[in-house]
Amino acid sequence: MAHEYIPEISTDRDGNEHVVQGWQDDFYGGKLGFWLFMFTEVLMFGAMFLVLTYYNMLHPADFVTASASLNRFLGGTNTVILLVSALTMGLSLLKMRAGDVKGAKLMIWATIILALMFLSIKAVEWTAEYNHGVFLGLDALQSGNAHSKPFGEILFFGMYFTMTGIHGFHIIIGIGLMVWLLKRINAGKVSPEHHILHWNIALYWDIVHLIWVFVFPYFYMIGAASGGTGGH
Amino acid sequence: MIDYKSERVMYYKVLVGLLLLTAVTFVLPYLFEAGANLPAQMFIAVIKAWLILMFYMHLKGEKLISVMGIFSLAIVLVFFIIVLVVDVANFQFKDESHITAPQHTTTGVTENVAAPVKH
Repeated sequence: MAHEYIPEISTDRDGNEHVVQGWQDDFYGGKLGFWLFMFTEVLMFGAMFLVLTYYNMLHPADFVTASASLNRFLGGTNTVILLVSALTMGLSLLKMRAGDVKGAKLMIWATIILALMFLSIKAVEWTAEYNHGVFLGLDALQSGNAHSKPFGEILFFGMYFTMTGIHGFHIIIGIGLMVWLLKRINAGKVSPEHHILHWNIALYWDIVHLIWVFVFPYFYMIGAASGGTGGH
Repeated sequence: MIDYKSERVMYYKVLVGLLLLTAVTFVLPYLFEAGANLPAQMFIAVIKAWLILMFYMHLKGEKLISVMGIFSLAIVLVFFIIVLVVDVANFQFKDESHITAPQHTTTGVTENVAAPVKH
């Protein structure tokens, strides 16, 4: 059954009524909504940081020892990769807003490649840790057996794998969003005039970077003075 | 339309700032004791977060979103601090909890000595 089109009416400050042509240009509304979503992300990771801090208060020495065993070279490389990827994503949005659609697409591809590099390095790191018996579910991270690590280290690594795992999942989602963005740009649905989707995906990538800004020092750097570059 | 060439300068300046601050995080552990290292690391992280929020996430000049963000985060922070400080300080099952019970490591085997919970 076809519905009769009933136009939306909005009223300006002087009381004059206007027919609303569409909400696609409600740029601020779109941006505000995405910020609300990002607060939920901060809430989730914030709660995890609080748990981490509480465990750290209970077992500070174990946390330093466990942190010292992480590979700071790989962690630091990933930090720089994410940092540069935030730049390429930001430049892609700038190029889009400046009317350079082709340049914007190139920058999005650069961001995707950097994101894949981040995941590859994380995979190498996790594989090395698994080969050294440090992984969720293995004996070293279960209390009460001959291979058990001290309890504080078990808590540290539990949070490390959980938080870097969830962060990695966000990176995968980000890659998916960027591929979708490229499709929308190719379809002409995202353009220099209508770029709220591009803006919000760039914001998403920034929040993923922002979370890593806190994850990296908390896990990798608190035991850095204990010697070497660390690493399993 | 914006002018790409003039706008991109800010992005590169922020990148340099973030890279320098990242380099500082590698130096800090050798400047501070283990106890002071974490607060120092978090302080640098907050400065990096501020740069990202203001310039990469375009919060500079965005009064409504900034105020909304600070207000909501402050409420959550106060709530979490109350939970963390008051609740944890008065935790009744310290000796029974798997997390807070004292650990025996003298035999080389980590043993949790949480008292059995009576049901």
